[in-house]
Amino acid sequence: MSADSAQELIDAVKRALDSNTNLCITGGNTKSFYGRDPVGEPLLTTIHHGIVNYEPSELVITARSGTLLADIELTLAEQKQMLAFEPPSFGKQATLGGAVACGLSGPRRPYVGAVRDFVLGVRMINGRGEDLKFGGQVMKNVAGYDVSRLMVGALGTLGVLLDISLKVLPTPMMECTLVFEVGHTQALELQNTWAAKPLPISATCHVGELLHVRLSGSEKGIIAARKQLGGEQVQGADEFWCNLKEHRHDFFKQAETLWRISVPPATPALNVSGPCLVEWNGGLRWLKSDIPAQSIRTTIDMVGGHATMFRGGDSENVFHPLQQTVLTLHKNLKTAFDPAGIFNPGRMYEGV
Amino acid sequence: MQTHLADFIRNTIEGREADAILRKCVHCGFCTATCPTYQLLGDELDGPRGRIYLMKQVLEGVTPTSTTQLHLDRCLSCRNCETTCPSGVQYGRLLDIGRVIVEQQVERTEVEKLKRKLLRLVIPYRNRFGPLLKIGQFFRPFLPKPLKQATPAARAAGVWPQADKHDRRMLVLNGCVQPAIAPDINSATARVLDQLGIGLTTANDGCCGALSYHLSAHDEALGFVRQNIDAWWPYIEQGVEAIVITASGCGVMVKDYGYLLRHDTDYAKKAATVSDLTKDISEVLYTEDLTKLKTKSNKKVAFQAPCSLQHGLKLSGKVEDILARLGFSLTTVPDTHLCCGSAGTYSILNPVISNQLKKRKLEALCSEQPDIIATANIGCLTHLESEATVPVVHWINLIAAMSHEK
Amino acid sequence: MSIAPKAENPSLQSQRARVASDLRRVVATDSVLDEEESLRPYECDGLSAYRRLPLVVVLPDTVDQVQQVVRYCHDNDIPIVARGAGTGLSGGALPIEDGVVLSLAKFNKVISVDKDNRTAVVQPGVRNLAISETVSHLGLYYAPDPSSQIACTIGGNVAENAGGLHCLKYGLTVHNVLEIKIVTIEGDLVTIGSNALDSPGYDLLALMTGSEGLLGIIVEVTVKLLTKPDCAKVIMASFDDIEKAGNAVANIITAGIIPGGLEMMDNAAIRVTEDFVHAGYDVEAAAILLCELDGTPEEVDDEIERVKLVLEQSGYTQMQVAKDDNQRQLFWSGRKSAFPAVGRISPDYYCMDGTIPRKTLGSVMSKVDELSRQYDLRVVNVFHAGDGNLHPLILYDGNVEGELERTEELGGAILDLCIEVGGTITGEHGVGMEKIDHMCIQFDTLELSQFHAVKQAFDTKRLLNPDKAVPTLHRCAEFGAMHVHKGQLKFPDIERF
Ligand SMILES: Cc1cc2nc3c(=O)[nH]c(=O)nc-3n(C[C@H](O)[C@H](O)[C@H](O)COP(=O)(O)OP(=O)(O)OC[C@H]3O[C@@H](n4cnc5c(N)ncnc54)[C@H](O)[C@@H]3O)c2cc1C
Ligand code: SF4
Ligand code: SF4
Repeated sequence: MSADSAQELIDAVKRALDSNTNLCITGGNTKSFYGRDPVGEPLLTTIHHGIVNYEPSELVITARSGTLLADIELTLAEQKQMLAFEPPSFGKQATLGGAVACGLSGPRRPYVGAVRDFVLGVRMINGRGEDLKFGGQVMKNVAGYDVSRLMVGALGTLGVLLDISLKVLPTPMMECTLVFEVGHTQALELQNTWAAKPLPISATCHVGELLHVRLSGSEKGIIAARKQLGGEQVQGADEFWCNLKEHRHDFFKQAETLWRISVPPATPALNVSGPCLVEWNGGLRWLKSDIPAQSIRTTIDMVGGHATMFRGGDSENVFHPLQQTVLTLHKNLKTAFDPAGIFNPGRMYEGV
Repeated sequence: MQTHLADFIRNTIEGREADAILRKCVHCGFCTATCPTYQLLGDELDGPRGRIYLMKQVLEGVTPTSTTQLHLDRCLSCRNCETTCPSGVQYGRLLDIGRVIVEQQVERTEVEKLKRKLLRLVIPYRNRFGPLLKIGQFFRPFLPKPLKQATPAARAAGVWPQADKHDRRMLVLNGCVQPAIAPDINSATARVLDQLGIGLTTANDGCCGALSYHLSAHDEALGFVRQNIDAWWPYIEQGVEAIVITASGCGVMVKDYGYLLRHDTDYAKKAATVSDLTKDISEVLYTEDLTKLKTKSNKKVAFQAPCSLQHGLKLSGKVEDILARLGFSLTTVPDTHLCCGSAGTYSILNPVISNQLKKRKLEALCSEQPDIIATANIGCLTHLESEATVPVVHWINLIAAMSHEK
Repeated sequence: MSIAPKAENPSLQSQRARVASDLRRVVATDSVLDEEESLRPYECDGLSAYRRLPLVVVLPDTVDQVQQVVRYCHDNDIPIVARGAGTGLSGGALPIEDGVVLSLAKFNKVISVDKDNRTAVVQPGVRNLAISETVSHLGLYYAPDPSSQIACTIGGNVAENAGGLHCLKYGLTVHNVLEIKIVTIEGDLVTIGSNALDSPGYDLLALMTGSEGLLGIIVEVTVKLLTKPDCAKVIMASFDDIEKAGNAVANIITAGIIPGGLEMMDNAAIRVTEDFVHAGYDVEAAAILLCELDGTPEEVDDEIERVKLVLEQSGYTQMQVAKDDNQRQLFWSGRKSAFPAVGRISPDYYCMDGTIPRKTLGSVMSKVDELSRQYDLRVVNVFHAGDGNLHPLILYDGNVEGELERTEELGGAILDLCIEVGGTITGEHGVGMEKIDHMCIQFDTLELSQFHAVKQAFDTKRLLNPDKAVPTLHRCAEFGAMHVHKGQLKFPDIERF
């Protein structure tokens, strides 16, 4: 790593600005499939890597955006801590910046929170080539607008992330996975009943005829919960959850378009045809289907959710369309951060 | 809170008291949350913090208009805000002081003046209110609905056991309207105390003074206060244990006699003694051995805690405890801290808000389908009774009735 | 001497009459306040040291009325300050002289509760605590519980990103709100967020949360509800030294325990609250920690033992586990009423809200103590220790000339200290008007400009709560100059005494 990688990135942005060049902000290039088609000259954030500060007793880690997610996870694991939102990497080269920009969270999300819930602060470059810091390294901070969280899931359309501070959590003392043989509808019902009880559930997944449930907590707590839930215990389940998070589970070996559908968790079985994998107590449904986007979205609109074309399909309409006034706000914000529109243009919506 | 009291008041007794109260308020707004009128109207001016601010302005020399008066009039004097206030702001006292000044500075319309005067001329006097009520009760079946609601049905007085068979003696306040509307309350009290070995007597007292006091006629009120003290004094000298009050609204007032007359050289001491001896009937029963009463009841009772009982006398939970000890099953009542809208003359002067509060209170009281509603104050009793679908009684009557059936 | 109200500019008075009469076409006559007498009680929020008389106050009760009021203001370039319960401690709801105060207090209904998805849709004026009360019979509750929860509104909570006693484990407002409806300055009704766990596009919900009424008027909020834990227990531990208590906090977290709540009070705070709630606090202790553990009974028992051990190693002097739920509630109610209870010993207080890295708790506390002596003003400490969120309450007497100024200076010094140790000037109360000058220290010109650009994206005419939260660069330039000439009045333009 060069002496001042941040400065290099800033200079690169300034040059692009001068030459009116679009930039495609790139980390490990593991998630280029996500979103609308990437355009522009690659701006490699991988040159800017390394953990800046990590204090286990503060539950905070600050790292450069180009740091490998795997490195961060390893460092935390050594201190019995973790990124509780379990970001998917989709490849060894995945960087922290990419994970935050995509805003994707893994199986633990409904129980502990999403990426955005753990972001405490960022240092970033805006579209004027300015080096800015928002938020901080403390648990609570309401000074100024919450720009740090706005960056999460913005797909790099608002700026280049430089450093990111995240809240981390202790890893659970113990985990245990149970499996139940149930059909889709029953699985949804079960998950919903459990969610209404104070149980130490930390992940659920239903696919095919199997419902997996992960429990996390103290030994006594888990034993008590197991008594309530029943089911069979699964050995070596860590791999199962990891495969699920990384989309290495057989379900994801698909030919059809893979839809990521986010709905209120108690939503009954969706009225769309195609195999479906359920996570998040019912709140997240992965659907394999080639039926027209329009028809899927109409169905999902009715239950108050949204549908993303996660992999495959028409790369124009990846994300659920926005209410007109909301889209206008998006465009205004894009202008506020990136007036020349050089960062990942159109990666999210046309003009955004 | 910072204050700059105006010259006209700064160095008076009231001024100093008001200043101390105002300075305690830190403007946190907690009290707005439990204020019934704020809940209904959502205007800062109709909540305690806003009213404190309005009064502060007046005390700081701004001449009020009918707007300030309106918002102070809308206050129920329920003192819920006092219970809520962590800082210990004595809102009720401030209101008493503030209302008088506003009354002096803002002229009411002739109609309003007349209403208030009539209330003050009739209600506190048993010999005026009683006959009028009798006429009303006679014509009750023919009255239009609003008047009918305001006119309670007649009740029988019930037997009063002889007091002198017991060594222990207590005195009970007759008061003004209660003997006319519900003569059965004090007689029931007498019977219950009789079973506990306490003789209950009455003196020739009258209105406790609260009505006039809350209509800002302080001198008139103090007149009543002195009369009562004079009426009671011989009994006190004979050694009555306590002055029992069966209407919590009056209880608050009588317990304040000492404070109100603290600067009256002739009465200060006596008034303090009276206040010390004053007990709500729940306080009396709470410390007695109730096994003598041996009641048994399968009645489901919803207890309505009058503001004067819980916020004025700060006796939350006592009556409930007594009833439970005696085997009554009490329903859970939501929002027990809220006022029913009766609030002395409030129901007559502010009927719209008063009725809204009554509706809410009755809904809350009836949420678990009680057989009967019990209360501890005559005002709340008649107010709730006018629209309740189940009987409303003073809780002491529940106990007396059970003992009677035994 | 009586204070005559500051004479107002006559043109303001004629504007007031005009605006009031225009607004009375939209809302009921008595829902527009325009007499000075009625406007006064609206001149401040929970920070009563800062006061300004608004042009008018309007109290709409339908969303349509809000839209019409906002459109009218937009068309006529009239600033708008939204107001919930007015419990804010940073002057966020401080009116603007030529602006309208838009109160949402009449919006106090819970619209619907979705038991299966565990959400509730509420109007913005619903009190925080009222939500939990409404859903309690379903075994649910709304987690963020600011100390002011009895009174503060959910709209105000969203606008401030309010925190609470249980935010260490369950998050702040931003973590517990799913969807909001806002009225934009153009008068459009816009839905932000969704009933699902995430929503497409930018995280506007996070941006709106904590935006202090500068980006839109919140007219509806969908909150996430949690299942009440089976079991909750609270440990109260006393310490004879405040630094020890501070270290105990860090030790608990380091041990891998995330308590439901972890709060601290110093001796002065213990005494004043004990006076109000009679909770049985140890009034001799230099500091007490309240540590709540919740979950299944088995988990709680486990954790109680672990916490006890840590506390022992941290050198507590006394320890007590609340014997039942009533006592647990009592322990918390004391903590919750701590700020106003201070009114028992001082006519005024000024509450700071800096947040610092936990490990600096001990040293910052001693430094604050030093500053307190230096400025000769008492400081009472009650705070969200687990989050490192300090609330030094500076006690002063507004009637004593110069004390408020000295208090503000001390407050400023404490904020400087928080920034110095890597913290922030506000953890949950917001910048409002009170800390606006310190924004110039925490952020540089470019960052502030970026904030202004965000504001521009929502509110081109800068009409929504315009002079709050983010200082103009001009203001910062002046503040910089003022820092040089110490002792000048902080906000010469605000009525104060
Ligand atoms: C004793 C005390 C203890 C407190 N404890 C805590 C605590 O533990 N944690 C904490 O976080 N805070 C605390 N606070 C601060 C305060 O209660 C919170 O900031 C609360 O969120 C304010 O809510 P409110 O309804 O009173 O809003 P207000 O004070 O009326 O307004 C606050 C801000 O929000 C804006 N606003 C209000 N409603 C809307 C709306 N509908 N749309 C857009 N903008 C709006 C206003 O313009 C203003 O900028 C405390 C305050 C007091 C007095
Ligand atoms: S609760 Fe007490 S201190 Fe707070 S505003 Fe009300 S009266 Fe004032
Ligand atoms: S006395 Fe009752 S009505 Fe009056 S301000 Fe207090 S709470 Fe409100």
